[in-house]
Amino acid sequence: MEQNMKNSSVKVADTLILGGGIAGLEAALNLANTGHQVVIVEKDLSIGGRMIHLSKVFPTLDCSACITTPKVSEASRHPGIHIQVNTGAKKLAFDAKGHWHVHVQTEPRFVNESLCTGCQDCERACPVVVKDEYQYNLVGRKVAYIPFSIASPRIAAIDIENCILCGACEKACVPGAIDFSQEPVQTEWIVKSVIIASGFTLFDPDQIERYGGGKFKNVVTAMQMERQLVPTRPFNTVLRPGDGKIPDKVAYVLCAGSRDGTVGNPICSQICCMYSIKQAQLILGALPMADVTVYYLHIRSFGKGFDEFYQQAKKMDVSFIKGKIGKISELENGDLMLRYEDIASGKIKEAKHDMVVLSVGILANRDIEKISGLENLELDPFHYLKQRQEMSNPFKTNLPGIFMAGTASGPMDIPDSILSAGAVSAMVTKYNKGFVESIINSLTISSWNE
Amino acid sequence: MSELDPKFAREILKFGDGTFSACYNCGNCTAVCNLANNDNTFPRRLIRFSVLGLKDQIDASLDPWLCYYCGDCSTTCPRNANPGDLMMTLRRYLSSSYDWTGLARKFYTSKVFELTAIFILALFILLLFVFFHGPMTTELTPDGGVQLNTFAPWKTIEAGDWIMAGFLSFFLLSNIFNMYLKVIWRRKDLKIPVSLYFSELRHLIIHFFSQWRFSDCETNQDSFFTKVKNGEYTYWFVHFLLMSSYVLLFTMIVGFLYWFQTDEIHPWWHPQRLLGYYSTFGLLLGTIYFIVLRIKKQNEKSKNSHYTDWTFLTLLFLTTLTGILVHLFRIGGLPMATYYMYVLHLMILFPMLMIEVPFSKWSHLAYRPFAIYFSNVIMAAQQKTSQK
Repeated sequence: MEQNMKNSSVKVADTLILGGGIAGLEAALNLANTGHQVVIVEKDLSIGGRMIHLSKVFPTLDCSACITTPKVSEASRHPGIHIQVNTGAKKLAFDAKGHWHVHVQTEPRFVNESLCTGCQDCERACPVVVKDEYQYNLVGRKVAYIPFSIASPRIAAIDIENCILCGACEKACVPGAIDFSQEPVQTEWIVKSVIIASGFTLFDPDQIERYGGGKFKNVVTAMQMERQLVPTRPFNTVLRPGDGKIPDKVAYVLCAGSRDGTVGNPICSQICCMYSIKQAQLILGALPMADVTVYYLHIRSFGKGFDEFYQQAKKMDVSFIKGKIGKISELENGDLMLRYEDIASGKIKEAKHDMVVLSVGILANRDIEKISGLENLELDPFHYLKQRQEMSNPFKTNLPGIFMAGTASGPMDIPDSILSAGAVSAMVTKYNKGFVESIINSLTISSWNE
Repeated sequence: MSELDPKFAREILKFGDGTFSACYNCGNCTAVCNLANNDNTFPRRLIRFSVLGLKDQIDASLDPWLCYYCGDCSTTCPRNANPGDLMMTLRRYLSSSYDWTGLARKFYTSKVFELTAIFILALFILLLFVFFHGPMTTELTPDGGVQLNTFAPWKTIEAGDWIMAGFLSFFLLSNIFNMYLKVIWRRKDLKIPVSLYFSELRHLIIHFFSQWRFSDCETNQDSFFTKVKNGEYTYWFVHFLLMSSYVLLFTMIVGFLYWFQTDEIHPWWHPQRLLGYYSTFGLLLGTIYFIVLRIKKQNEKSKNSHYTDWTFLTLLFLTTLTGILVHLFRIGGLPMATYYMYVLHLMILFPMLMIEVPFSKWSHLAYRPFAIYFSNVIMAAQQKTSQK
């Protein structure tokens, strides 16, 4: 049942998943493997979400990309999974028969997907360099670019906002895949159920004036440090961005943007303690002579194996000091002075470090609120999706047929995200199986919140 | 050993609203504070004392007086526990813990008590005038002024002033002595050489007259003129103007009334008039400035107003206003208006001084410099012992 018009079409599937991160992929694979037709709508140029950019996972120190990429390639090849990248949901409508009509729009990438071979000739030809958001602004990228080396699909795109329309990429492209005439493409998906797996956004520490407000060059976010520790890292070592010096004394500032009412995020992000402990260990692996100090309020090593992981970091000589950093000031040579109250002794202390990592918290992804038709979607006070009955009916929103997976429901780590995707797969399977048009519909809606 | 008293937090909350129990002990407030140092580590220590109910430690602490409510702790507190406001509340608590009469505690914890006291004292003044006032002559002096000294002879008023000043000094000084007992005398770990009380006395005088500690709130590297331009000294300046005006006027009224309250109308450049104008200008500007700040609630230290802050500012403003009117009516040659306004002026002035100076908000003019003095004495003594 496909009606194709110019640049718009209507298609049918069982379940649509908003977000192609680890939670969305896991749910998609579970559902597709049990015979459901699944669509993944991903706003980014590649699926894989945040996890594909990480170095190791805690507390096992397994390679993060090595867990993500098999799922990414399996999902890309799966006959039951249709993936639309560079695509955003614009409107959701519930029809009388109990279907959701999801209107999505694929933005033009100005590269013909079927012709591009991912050879990167256009990238070499492009004369314009801008900040690379996939390397968290540590280095630059071209305007005609492959998003990152393990992107899926590994197809070039043109960042039209920064493009000077010189045509160099067009000339360099042997298969002739560059197509500046592309326009947005609309698709209307008619599905039985929707899973929101829209993930989180990172807290922007620039709003914290007393931590430099983004002006101190050697104050980086934990995600920037994470990128320096992955195999596909931008530099071939860990270094501080201000002057390229290899740091000797690295400080971690925990709770930078979480558990802080003044920045509007009073809750714990649940992952910062552990990823900081993980990074501290990895830094000691990369720079064995470095001193790493973690300034914490309370170490929340609550999961299985987490506390052992924390103790292991202590044994590796990572220093842990209890006390919130009150102020950071920059010295002339780019070093940083951290002022804090050492809670153990009750004394005010100042410590000099040559690099500071802000362990930034995570926030709800509020793009979901911009989708028309989801005005009645219930959110919790922190803008995460609200679970109506967390215990008896987990991962269901208040709207019939709409589920959630991963950090869309609140801060959680990778194992919990995957776990939630597993749980929601079972719930969606049950929902899709019991779905009979218009007869069951009224029953489904009335029994949704029981 | 100290005794824990979990209910003590409720006692503190009688002296002001507070959210300090939200504190999770991160130490951010102490680390961002420009006035705290390792000899006086606040506000977190005081929050801890308050939550645990360590009454003795709070009573012996000078830290609340060393806090000038810059507000950085409150604006950056991750738990919105408002440490700055707790320090303010503790200053009220301490004022009443120093006061052996128990009146300060009543004034700080009961609106009704405070207002009743004001009315009784005002009524007392009114009755004194009703029964003992001089002749209300409508005849003007040769230069066209009112014969105020006929209605209220300066000698009588001065005698009253002296009695009042005696009361004020007795209560205030005995409270300061009580403060001394609590913060130094009862501390067994301190041995203070007598010489230090003299060598550190300069801090008392400097801080009483300058209140320079206010300017420590700002630690940015800007030049002096940029700071002035950015208004970083404005609060200190207005506070200084208000305080100096008050001290000047109080001295003139209590010590030199024969010179200050004259029937003769001096030329405008006469020191009596110039000093009087300076003081009334300072008081008027100061009270209006602080009232406006407290209404606007834009800066941190003016956000949380206790009812005693309002009574104090209102009484001071009304005293100034009626004082100005007395002056205008007198040189304008309006006898009856002058007399009534004079009575009203004293009816406001007297309760304000009797209540605010020894027992309420105004007492900080003594406690603050004395706290700085005592803390310097303690620090110098500790330095000496550690050198040995």
